[in-house]
Amino acid sequence: MNPVIELVVVLGGTIGLSVPFGMYLARMISYEMRPLEAPLARVENGFYKIVGIDKNKQMTWKEYAFSLFITNIIIGVFIFLVFLLQGYIPSPSHVNGLSIDLAFNTAVSFITNTNLQHFAGDQTLTVTTQIIAITFAMFIAPASGIAAAFAFIRSFIRKNFGLGNFYVDFIRIILTLLLPVAFVSALLLMFLGSPQTLSPSVTINHTLEGHNQTFTTGPVASLESIKELGSNGGGYFGSNSGHPFENPNGPSNIYEMFLMLIIPVSFPIAYAKLVGKARGISLLLAILIGFGILLAISFSQTSGPTGLETRFGSFGSEFFNTVSIATNTGAANSALSGMSVNPVISFFLAMFVQSIPGADGTGILYMLIYVVLTLFIVGLMVGKTPEFMNMKISPIDIKLAAFIFLIHPAIIFIPAVIAFASGNAQSILAVPAGKMTTVSGFTQALYEYTSAAANNGSDYLGTSANNPFWNWSTGIVMFLGRYPPIILALAIAGSFTLKDRKEAIEPIKTHGPLFIAVLLVMTFLLTALTFFPVIVIGPFSM
Amino acid sequence: MIRKLVYNGKKSTEALPGSRGISNINISKVIGNSVLKLNPWYLARENAVMFTVEVLFLVVLFVGMGLTHIPKVFASQTQAFYYASAVILIITVWFSTFSEALSEAQARARVDSLRNLEREVTARKIVGDKREVIVNSRTLKPGDEVLVYSGEVIPRDGIVMEGKAFVDESMMTGESNPVFKEKDDHVIGGTRIASDRLRIEITSEAGRSFLDQMVTLIESATRPKTKNEIALTILLAGLSLIFIMVVGSLLFFAYFLGYIADIGMLIALLVALMPTTIGGLLSAIGVAGITRIGRDNIVAKSGKGIEAAGDADILILDKTGTITEGSRAAITFIPLEKYTERDVGQAAFAASIHDNTHEGKSIVHLAEEKGFIPPLVEKMLVARQLEFSAETCYSGIELIKNKRVELSSELQEEATAIHKFEDGNGDAGRQLKTDENVDSKVSKMLLELDSRNQEFKILKGSVETMLKLVPNVNEAELKWKAQEISKNGQTPFLVAIDIEAIGLVALKDNLKENICQRLEEVRAAGITTVMITGDNILTAQVIAKEANVDQIMAEAKPSDKLTRVQEEQLKGHVIGMVGDGTNDAPALAKADVGLAMNSGTAAAKEAANMVDLDSDPSKILRVVKLGKQLLMTRGAITTFSIANDVAKYFAIIPAMFIATNPKLAVLNIMQLHSPTTAILATLIFNAIIIPALIPLSLRGVTFRPEPPEKTFIRNMLIYGLGGVALPFVAIKAIDMLLTLFLH
Repeated sequence: MNPVIELVVVLGGTIGLSVPFGMYLARMISYEMRPLEAPLARVENGFYKIVGIDKNKQMTWKEYAFSLFITNIIIGVFIFLVFLLQGYIPSPSHVNGLSIDLAFNTAVSFITNTNLQHFAGDQTLTVTTQIIAITFAMFIAPASGIAAAFAFIRSFIRKNFGLGNFYVDFIRIILTLLLPVAFVSALLLMFLGSPQTLSPSVTINHTLEGHNQTFTTGPVASLESIKELGSNGGGYFGSNSGHPFENPNGPSNIYEMFLMLIIPVSFPIAYAKLVGKARGISLLLAILIGFGILLAISFSQTSGPTGLETRFGSFGSEFFNTVSIATNTGAANSALSGMSVNPVISFFLAMFVQSIPGADGTGILYMLIYVVLTLFIVGLMVGKTPEFMNMKISPIDIKLAAFIFLIHPAIIFIPAVIAFASGNAQSILAVPAGKMTTVSGFTQALYEYTSAAANNGSDYLGTSANNPFWNWSTGIVMFLGRYPPIILALAIAGSFTLKDRKEAIEPIKTHGPLFIAVLLVMTFLLTALTFFPVIVIGPFSM
Repeated sequence: MIRKLVYNGKKSTEALPGSRGISNINISKVIGNSVLKLNPWYLARENAVMFTVEVLFLVVLFVGMGLTHIPKVFASQTQAFYYASAVILIITVWFSTFSEALSEAQARARVDSLRNLEREVTARKIVGDKREVIVNSRTLKPGDEVLVYSGEVIPRDGIVMEGKAFVDESMMTGESNPVFKEKDDHVIGGTRIASDRLRIEITSEAGRSFLDQMVTLIESATRPKTKNEIALTILLAGLSLIFIMVVGSLLFFAYFLGYIADIGMLIALLVALMPTTIGGLLSAIGVAGITRIGRDNIVAKSGKGIEAAGDADILILDKTGTITEGSRAAITFIPLEKYTERDVGQAAFAASIHDNTHEGKSIVHLAEEKGFIPPLVEKMLVARQLEFSAETCYSGIELIKNKRVELSSELQEEATAIHKFEDGNGDAGRQLKTDENVDSKVSKMLLELDSRNQEFKILKGSVETMLKLVPNVNEAELKWKAQEISKNGQTPFLVAIDIEAIGLVALKDNLKENICQRLEEVRAAGITTVMITGDNILTAQVIAKEANVDQIMAEAKPSDKLTRVQEEQLKGHVIGMVGDGTNDAPALAKADVGLAMNSGTAAAKEAANMVDLDSDPSKILRVVKLGKQLLMTRGAITTFSIANDVAKYFAIIPAMFIATNPKLAVLNIMQLHSPTTAILATLIFNAIIIPALIPLSLRGVTFRPEPPEKTFIRNMLIYGLGGVALPFVAIKAIDMLLTLFLH
């Protein structure tokens, strides 16, 4: 397909549809009437009753963060047990349980929206596990991220608007956002050629060569749709979206890119609806321009042909992978090892920034924290106490934001140093004798932890990293990359929701070309200053 | 009515020798202090960034001396390199402490010259039983008792313990008539006793205590940091921690990848990346802000007030004294239908004969100039004076029934002087005036009233209050004429004899010099100005328009200030205001920036967070500028500091790795001579940029009256882009110099 048409279809389609999606998100955030409100509310109320939730209770940031965390932990433990004990769970196919470290890694990976896979899904997991653990967690993880973003945005709307109720948000997001879109998308993917069946395999008796051939199948379409929509990224098959059943053809490739982008891109629209059209659109433009820069870096060098799916070619592969990594989905329609240097640098940048457009919910959350930091500097430059939407930015906000930006490099660099110093990196990377490591070996290890820290999930290592050290270390990194930033962001929300709002005009508008430019420069500069050396000695030197 | 603010226009800023520059600063003492500040305990508490640099200096020094057990791979450079690095690092720290010591010395010099400005009087302090000791007012403490005799100045605020006396409080309150004071009454420091004597117990701290607060602010090791300073410090600490992590891990990564991983080089990279420039200058910038305020003869009681001034987006300004000169003068007499200008002039003269306020005097003066002198001058001179009061809102005289006129010699003289004006003061053209004065309606009316042998009043006052006293007036005509006066920005006073309205006096207040331009600047910076005045809305509107004020509060009472401050604060605005009276104190305390006049009451000075020793209320506009400047300077140098890092990466990273990895040649934009010179050049640049920016930190970034957006773009271009570009050039130049010397 013509690259230009493909770009226009994906980006145009996403931006076009982000308007109704964003409006819908805004209604969910401000608890306004949604389409079909009455029947939806009845279903939701049933759920609240079963679980015993007082839907009218407003939560403080601490309660919200605690509810989110504890819900994730409980479900995380549940899927951990499923992975561990899958041999005892009835299923159309039989596979033994996972080792304790792989089960831990996989459970953390799927509950944190990372979906890093140190295993090949089709060979290691049963059909039942794929449904009750993998697909289930794929709804839970993005719903938690989106809920956190809801609470965060609510803190800006007006003083003491409240952060909402996590359980209510969580249930509403799953039932009235993720499920319907995933359902329709699954049908569409089935129509495009993805299988959806409970039988684990299909055997064709007479192929052209006259042999019998067995294909692994399963409930692929349903997994695939939420995998992309929920910025998850874990594949049913080891080769992920490069597998013809996960991503059958050009149209499915385009549709999956749309699914990955739609929720992150819709958030600025929701933001526009809630706190000002110009502000939201400027934020969207900043994100799109940033995303354009990432795409441009990727496209600046042709990749392959080795390691690429010939169905998609260099452009289709680079496009899909950039979209997937920039949205922190981490799905891949071709191997990372087939990618040239520039696309890899672009992937690294996307994971360092985490917010153009970033994952469902957490992307906008990080973006808004960049906005707060940018406005802090901007305020100082014009001689005013820095403020965001007429709310003074106080030392505590800066402290929390600084912690968020400190965590990310810490959980990438420190484990990477340990991996090499302990020899665990060398043991799975091809390192020539007499050398500590090679540039590509270093890049691969760095990528692994960056991907884990950004809750991205794409990786070079794959099943080769299935050993206790890598399973435990990346598991811990994924955990630290997910919950501390969300909790700190909610603490910022807690601080903002109590602040007085001025009616005065902002000294520097939080919209318009100047703001977009400054926000982008600050975002990329903060990232570049932190990661310049490792990019230089890593992917740049490959 | 709003109390008149006492303004003396002296520009004491210029008068003070050595107030600018650093000529009167003892440099050796500054150097001594800066060395003392190198104390690691002090730095650890006050300046985390510089403390880190000092620790790194020790590490490099020990590595150079071979005192550490770091493996050879991590310490592969020559001893000379380590020593050179160590020296540059400690100089970097010293530059920072020097800037701090210098700014403190400057501030102290400023405070010393401010002390001279303070009004000092001698006081008779009562020691023991009844012994009087002459002391300086500065030495008085609350609880001391002083005796003040007629003609002497009360040294400080206090309570009357004994005696009864009239006190002239005109310099404080603008009220010309001496106020009667007896036991338990409060007296105000700086006011003068007009008669008798009082024994007073001092209740307030010396005005000097404000200066002392400022000294503490400058010198105290635990200088309370403002919120913005704290936030910035956290951000800088966060950045430093990130860089420590980046460089710490880079040491290992470089080693794993087979590069030269030298601890000295990486420490150099770390120090270069850390925001040492802003970290080193942060406290100097803060202290310099206080000094600059002091240069305008304003005593800041906290750094917070100055910063809040930068944030102020609403200024509540008194019309009188701040926007206008505060001395309204009569300019025309406007008669009502039945009367002539002469009638009004004569009546106004009579009503103002005892009025010692500026306005009253100006009316008398205008009438005299025009030769409008009423009959019965002698009687009027001894008539009962009706003082202006807040309840009545008028003033005038009451002629007492059938009183025999016995003038004292003093009054006789005055009468003679007045009579001179009747015949035009020798002016030939005005010869006929005596007759005209006799023939006027008012003359006849006065003589008739007098002959009736009744008490009657001659009054002047605001139109609204006077209307109640004159039942038979054409209200429509009166209101129309009053409005016409108001439309010109003048204040109308109605003059009446007994119950008959005669006409109006138009009083005009002049705008202060440069006030329009100053207010225009403030508005350009996005600040709303509110003018508060007791005038009616029409007058207020005209003046507001002339002076470029955004909003007005007309017909306001002093208590309205507090209400307005609270209202605006509820909406989230940051309020700046000026005040001097005790009834301003609550509003001053509530406002984010309260500037009290030194001529004001102790209560006001106590409540405000700044005191202007020149008592010029329009200085609030300067304070706002200085506050913005303080924040801008901090922001500009922070941005500069962070922007510098781009060039520093491009200097050091290729230098460190290029020998092993030729691919990095692309990054070697500056083509520096060798890794050693590249790193030393970067470190030297990093160090000398601190003293290079000391003048800017002390002077502050220029504030221009313009929309913030424009300021932002300009500052971004200068300090952001400039901050990226400058080090490329400077590091290259230093590298070339080093090459020259080393080879």
